[in-house]
Amino acid sequence: MLIERLIEALGAEAVKTSPEDLACYSFDAYSQGVLPSAVVLPSSAAQVSAVVKIARDLEEPLIARGSGTGLCGGAAPARAGVVLSFARMNRLLELDVENRRARVAPGLVNLQLSERIASTGFFYAPDPASQRASTIGGNIATNAGGPHCLAYGTTVNHVLALEIVDERGECFTTAVEDLGYDLTALLVGSEGTLGIVTSAWVRLLRIPPTTGVWLAAFPSIESASEAVSAIVGAGIVPTALEMMDATIVRAVESAYAAGYPADAAAVLLVESSGEPEEVASADSAIARIARAHGATKWQAATSTEQREALWRGRKGAAGAIGRIAPNYYTQDVCVPRTRLPEMLATVDEAAKQHGIVVGNVFHAGDGNLHPLLLYDKRDARQVAAVIEIGNIVLARAVELGGTISGEHGVGIEKRNGMSLVYRAEDLAAMANVREIFDPHALLNPEKIFPSGISCREMRT
Amino acid sequence: MNDAAISAALADASAHRRPVALRAGDVFSGMHRRVIDADEIDLRSRRAIREYEPRDLTIAVECGITAAQLEQTLREHRQFLPLDAPNAPQASVGGVLAAAWSGPRRHRYGRPRDLLIGSEFALADGTLARAGGMVVKNVAGYDLSRLFVGSMGSLAILLRANFKALPLPESTRIFLAALPDGTRERAFSQVRNLRPEPAAAWWIAGYDREIDGDPGDDGRIAILLECDNALLERATLDWRAALGRAGIPETRLLDAGAYASFTRLLDAPMHLPGLNALSYRSVSLPSQALALADSIADVIDRFDMHRDLLVDIMNGDVTVRAVGDAASFTHVVGMLDDALHDRAPRARILAGGGEVHDRLDCFGLLPNAFAQMRALKERFDPHGILNPGIAFFDGLHT
Ligand SMILES: Cc1cc2nc3c(=O)[nH]c(=O)nc-3n(C[C@H](O)[C@H](O)[C@H](O)COP(=O)(O)OP(=O)(O)OC[C@H]3O[C@@H](n4cnc5c(N)ncnc54)[C@H](O)[C@@H]3O)c2cc1C
Repeated sequence: MLIERLIEALGAEAVKTSPEDLACYSFDAYSQGVLPSAVVLPSSAAQVSAVVKIARDLEEPLIARGSGTGLCGGAAPARAGVVLSFARMNRLLELDVENRRARVAPGLVNLQLSERIASTGFFYAPDPASQRASTIGGNIATNAGGPHCLAYGTTVNHVLALEIVDERGECFTTAVEDLGYDLTALLVGSEGTLGIVTSAWVRLLRIPPTTGVWLAAFPSIESASEAVSAIVGAGIVPTALEMMDATIVRAVESAYAAGYPADAAAVLLVESSGEPEEVASADSAIARIARAHGATKWQAATSTEQREALWRGRKGAAGAIGRIAPNYYTQDVCVPRTRLPEMLATVDEAAKQHGIVVGNVFHAGDGNLHPLLLYDKRDARQVAAVIEIGNIVLARAVELGGTISGEHGVGIEKRNGMSLVYRAEDLAAMANVREIFDPHALLNPEKIFPSGISCREMRT
Repeated sequence: MNDAAISAALADASAHRRPVALRAGDVFSGMHRRVIDADEIDLRSRRAIREYEPRDLTIAVECGITAAQLEQTLREHRQFLPLDAPNAPQASVGGVLAAAWSGPRRHRYGRPRDLLIGSEFALADGTLARAGGMVVKNVAGYDLSRLFVGSMGSLAILLRANFKALPLPESTRIFLAALPDGTRERAFSQVRNLRPEPAAAWWIAGYDREIDGDPGDDGRIAILLECDNALLERATLDWRAALGRAGIPETRLLDAGAYASFTRLLDAPMHLPGLNALSYRSVSLPSQALALADSIADVIDRFDMHRDLLVDIMNGDVTVRAVGDAASFTHVVGMLDDALHDRAPRARILAGGGEVHDRLDCFGLLPNAFAQMRALKERFDPHGILNPGIAFFDGLHT
């Protein structure tokens, strides 16, 4: 019944049902979910709407999916249902350079937007390390961040308006300039649980005239993280301030020869963009602070090639780790920036205690850590240890005034962690919002909320 | 009133279905309807800085704090929040958020909501809850803090707001220029392409009391430069050269007085010279702003009113302040709505003198997601006790 109706609405070539196809859409970069009942590839908002109406009639869950690069199980079906892949809705729909904005379909791959508009002198700022693969729809649904969010903000700061297909299959639009509640901000980061994004207006920024990239090497991870706190504390906000520890540096060097000093205990990658005078003052101010915190090296990239090489190392860090360990698990927490040294100390201790190798590569300027825990999934002891360390890291982040996810989202992975940060009343307020937008719990069910949370608490 | 007292007052009001009205800075009261028959909860005494770690560049404040106080605190640590609030010594931070106020520096630094990272709030039944936190990146759960932005106190009472602060620019300079006849269009596009990018830029026709100097045949422009000291002089040369190419031979520079002038221009639309006056803003796109400004001027001139126009060159807002006969305003706004309908659906009244305000509907067209907003209102405030009548999602408009 489901399949026939989907085929009738979208045509047979837009509906996938073979076991191999279903298997391909049953997981994301974090986890394996269950097999969906069907996968559809709509080509328009009208088709999305038709699919939603059919699924609703048959009480089938709906799971929106970008490229499946999510790291929290967001796009992995938890209760079968229909997966909506946006692979065919991937166009740049309108480019309005004069007003510095673009309208995009949700399946457009992040990097392609900036590449396509580069000749106009503008770019799209949010740049998750997955930007070669992840889609703008997925980025919106997860409020994705990236190295340059330090200066430019995360996805929510760059979405101007949304077109949404709701749980009934009806379309509505929101805009930041709208009167009334900021539904645009509510929908960004809602992980496909409040509505399905079918297009978005995003902000474009002017490409800065000058960009400087520097590398600083430190004798210890503590001194590097103290330097980060000091840079931000001095009121300097570079465009990016990324940290990598010895494990990552070595992995990256052997994979890409990015030019990182292989003997450093920690490396900071710093980027500053703007007018030449601003970049020059950032250079001298940050170099001074880095040296005062024991940096053994401060090296500027002097050519575009060198700059790109330094960044290639950072952006490819996860891939490089993949070459030295059979499996790795990426944790994602965010703490106030002055608490970075304490947070890193906890990660280090917990890893040592459990005999697990950890590599840290992260958005240091934002206090957003990504410990990569290396393990072998065939070894039950290692799997248990990784889970335990993950929990220790979450709890410590919250204790330090931080949160359980800085950018990867909650999905299925961190549902239960939500109770670490929020009390029942806080979660109930969110659950009320969810119930309004998704009264039948069909939009990406079993995500975000810890099991057993209801909105009853708030009803009078 | 502390949080517990506000919670208790709300629980009681909710149990007895008794409406409450929130009182704060009163600066944005022209942007909404008057609240009808309600007990007052006064938030003006809630002005504490709750957490401020300058080295983290984050700050948490009680929402009754004024924009000026907040600015002062941050300034001591060479930080700022570009709230761009009009009448900052009076405007509360809660009011800025509830009214979804955003000013001329938003293209550069973002809107106040962009810098909001967390909040504590009281729900209609008195439940105290919170969202977000004190970290600059946070994707744990829905962004309820921002949902309340623009709610005009009708969804929950914002008690505490957490912000990401920014380092204060080292230098501030305003460039003022009278435009020779026929140079306005060129000036507009030149200003939008200036490097470094202006922090704010206005085209002004009128507002003669707010700025000194020659009004110019084709209006005048005021452009705000905020940058590092190292860049100031080179940027000044480049800007002057660029403006020269647009046919603007002379620019006056304001350094010491720059900040005060900027503030006067922020305040201007909210300062009505008398009761028979109105301020109206339409939010459009920068590319359409000039044409809109002309249409607005045309309408007002038909009624023989005095008018001051302010066009935000970087963002596209057109603000007009008109002074005339109270009886005409209903017609003026009706004609403006008709004239702008297709081009700038997001127009609204900012301020209106007593009688003028009461006669007018202060909202422009309803947002497309009106039904969703109303459903939220009904769920979060089932008995309609929070600021009843203030907003269009109350059902009054249907
Ligand atoms: C190597 C690597 C590096 C990464 N680096 C970063 C990083 O720097 N910063 C960062 O934030 N993340 C990062 N991620 C995580 C991931 O790439 C982001 O979460 C990204 O935004 C997901 O996009 P996607 O298109 O792959 O979405 P998916 O994984 O397919 O989906 C993610 C979520 O979005 C929902 N969704 C997708 N499309 C829509 C739609 N149209 N409407 C409604 N909901 C939708 C899904 O249901 C799901 O909940 C990284 C991942 C990898 C593998």
